Order: sequence, then C-alpha cells, then structure tokens
Amino acid sequence: MSDCRRIAERLASYADDLLTPSERAVVDQHLAQCSHCRRAAASEQGARTIVRARAETLRGGALPPGLRSRCEAIAREQLTPAPPFWRRRLVPLALTAVLVLFTVFAVISLATQRSNTLFAAQLAADHVKCVQGVATPGTASADASRLESLLFEEYGWKVRVPPSSHAGGVELIGAGRCLVGAGVVPHLVYRTGGRDVSLYMMEGVTRGEADVVTLGYRSRVWSRGATTFVLVSPADAGELATAVDYLRQEAH
Amino acid sequence: MREPTKERHEGVPADNVAERLAAESLGYLKPLYAAGLRLTRNPADAEDLVQDTFVKALRFAERFTPGTNLKAWLFTILHNTWRNRLRDASRAPVDVDSERAEEAAGAAQASAETPERILLRATLDADLQAALDSLPEAFRQAVWLRDVEEFSYAEIAGMLDVPIGTVMSRISRGRRLLFDRLSRVAQKAKVEVGGR
Repeated sequence: MSDCRRIAERLASYADDLLTPSERAVVDQHLAQCSHCRRAAASEQGARTIVRARAETLRGGALPPGLRSRCEAIAREQLTPAPPFWRRRLVPLALTAVLVLFTVFAVISLATQRSNTLFAAQLAADHVKCVQGVATPGTASADASRLESLLFEEYGWKVRVPPSSHAGGVELIGAGRCLVGAGVVPHLVYRTGGRDVSLYMMEGVTRGEADVVTLGYRSRVWSRGATTFVLVSPADAGELATAVDYLRQEAH
Repeated sequence: MREPTKERHEGVPADNVAERLAAESLGYLKPLYAAGLRLTRNPADAEDLVQDTFVKALRFAERFTPGTNLKAWLFTILHNTWRNRLRDASRAPVDVDSERAEEAAGAAQASAETPERILLRATLDADLQAALDSLPEAFRQAVWLRDVEEFSYAEIAGMLDVPIGTVMSRISRGRRLLFDRLSRVAQKAKVEVGGR
C-alpha cells in the first residue's frame, strides 16, 4: 500500500516523462505487478494525451470584442498621463500626482487595512479614471429607467438609478461600470452645479458613514442594507447639500 | 552592455520597459482569457478578470524581472486576482473543494476503457470542455496550466501559491478524474447509440 502511495506521487512526472531512467525503472517495475496503479497510470497518460492533442482548440476561443481595445486604452492611459479631457480643470501635474498617489495607495492597500482616507483616495482616482467612459462630455440628461435596464442586461446588476431631478438639483448624465478596489461596480454620473459627480454602489461592502476630502475630491460614504454608496465630487464644488440629500434618499 | 539582461536594466529608461511590457502583455490576452474562462466559467467574469490582470500588470510593471517568463508572470497575477476575488466574495475556499474531490478521485476506479479507445471517441471538443469544466477548480487549474499552457511544475506552484508536491498531485488526480469523466461520457454515448 505504501508502495502504491509512493508510486502515485510520481505518476505526474512519469506521464510527463520527467523521471530519471532509474526512477522510471522503479515505477515500471511496480506497474508490472500492480493492476491498480497500472490503471491509474494509463488514465493519467490518456487524459494528458487528449488534452494536449486538443490544447489549441481548447485555448482557441476568440477574444470578446472590445477587450483588446480596452486594454490598449488602459495602456495608453497609464503610459501617457494627462488626457485632454481634464486639461481645463486640472493641470497635468495634478493629474500625474493623482495617478502616482493612486499607485502608491494601491500598493499600500495590499498590506494595510484600508482606512477611509485611502478608500476615498482610491475612489477619487477611480472617478478620474472612469467618469469619461461613463459620461460623454456635453451629453444631454439620460433616462434613468433605460440605464437601469442597461445595467441589468449588460452586467446583471439590479440597482435603482435616481433620475434627474429639478428639486434635487441633479442631472443624470450616464451609467456604466468601473473597476475599483472592491471589484467592478455600478458607476452613475450626475451633473450638479455644472460639475460632474460620481455615485458608486458597492454591494456586499460594509463601511461606516464618512465624509472625507482627499486629492482634491470629496467622498461621502454611506450604507443602505448590504450596499455601500460613495458620492465623489470635486472638493471645490462645495456642500451640494440638496443633491446629496436627494441621492441618499433615492439610491438603493 | 555585453549581457542582454543587464542592457535592459541599465540602458533602457523605465518608461520603455513599461511600454514594452504593455505591448508584449497584449499578445498574451488570448491565453489569459482562455484560462480566465476556465476559472470563472462565465464570459463576462473572464473578461473582467483579464482586464483586471492587465491593469495590475501595468501598475506593478517595475516588479517584473526582464528576461524572465512574462507569460508565467501574467498567469500568476491572473490566479492571484482570482483567489482574491473568491476570498472577497467569501465563496467556498478552493482547498475544501479540492480535498473532497481528492478523496473522490482516490476512490474512483478507472473504467475498463483503454486510453486509445477513449481518445478515438472523445474527440468532441464540447465533451472535453464540459468534462474539464466539471472538474473541481484546483484540479482544473492544475491540468490546464500543465497540459494546455505547458508551464513547469515550479511555475505552476508559484501561480497557485502551493508546494510543488501539491501541484504534481493535483495534476495527477485531475488527469485521472478527467479521464474518468470522459470515459463515462463515452460509455453513455455507446449506450445511447446501442439503444436505438
């Protein structure tokens, strides 16, 4: 029995032909006497042959459309900072600083428990990163129920998208997904007081109430049920009290 | 300047290293996506996983040692990212899954089919895909990395963050379990044909 166990440990290398001649001879000798191990070795060899024969086909599926171009865009963005879109509001230096800090924070966050500031800093950087993809500058206000069904059909997210509201002082600009520290999450963009603000919804993430200013952005964090919401706005946009109240009430 | 690896470190500005890494990584999107698809078993999740992997590769570009295997490095990031996601989603940890399956694999008796006969019949790629997908995750990963991507045991150990002995045992048991499933498919096909 212990013989069989020792042989079993070598069957992968045996099938892969990575044993020395003398090791191989030991295995062969055992296989000649033991039908159980012989069957095991044959099964292993059989599966190996089949998978390798079909490796090209198994691996060969086409890339989903857009994956390559998105990665290329990510590479361009990371290698050449300062997209023209932000030129008016932020000097390139500031953007570079955000990206550098983002990287630093990302590294630190691997080792440390994320503090609220770190969390807010990441989302500020995510806002810079994703807002352009979600909302095209100059777009007219978007239809909330259409975006709700889009988020559901495209990504399977069931979220309530608060519509544009005159009383709330917000205009819904767009919705999409954004890759943030917690994974890929729904990302809504509103315009209020002429500024773009991001609302992130993180299901399954629980964080306490917080209001943090970092990297020139203000992040308001609140939870509802099992979902954490974060509203990121430019810090100099001020209180935005009406808009914040409205979104806190309506988003779930 | 005489040694190529040194030249890359000293002669080329950091930006160019990152640029080259990005360009070369784009060339591995296809195998990464195929592996991601086997991990997630869901095209949308696989897409996110690969994109996430690519973002991390660029972010940590300076940690890559030029001259070493870029593909293996990217696969390591892919698997780390996947493990973190599983952990975050607090799904069943990989090892529980695999231990149960290891017992099952140990108990499973290979059928009387010979490898050659199975090979002749089990050429349907859909059957093979389905059999692979039905393997417990730990075995599916090990077999895929070894037999489809042909990484070494040591490279796979690095990717999965487990000892080499575990890698070998997972490959071995994964292959046997796969063969067992394929032979069941083949036998079922035989019964269906015979029943007509």
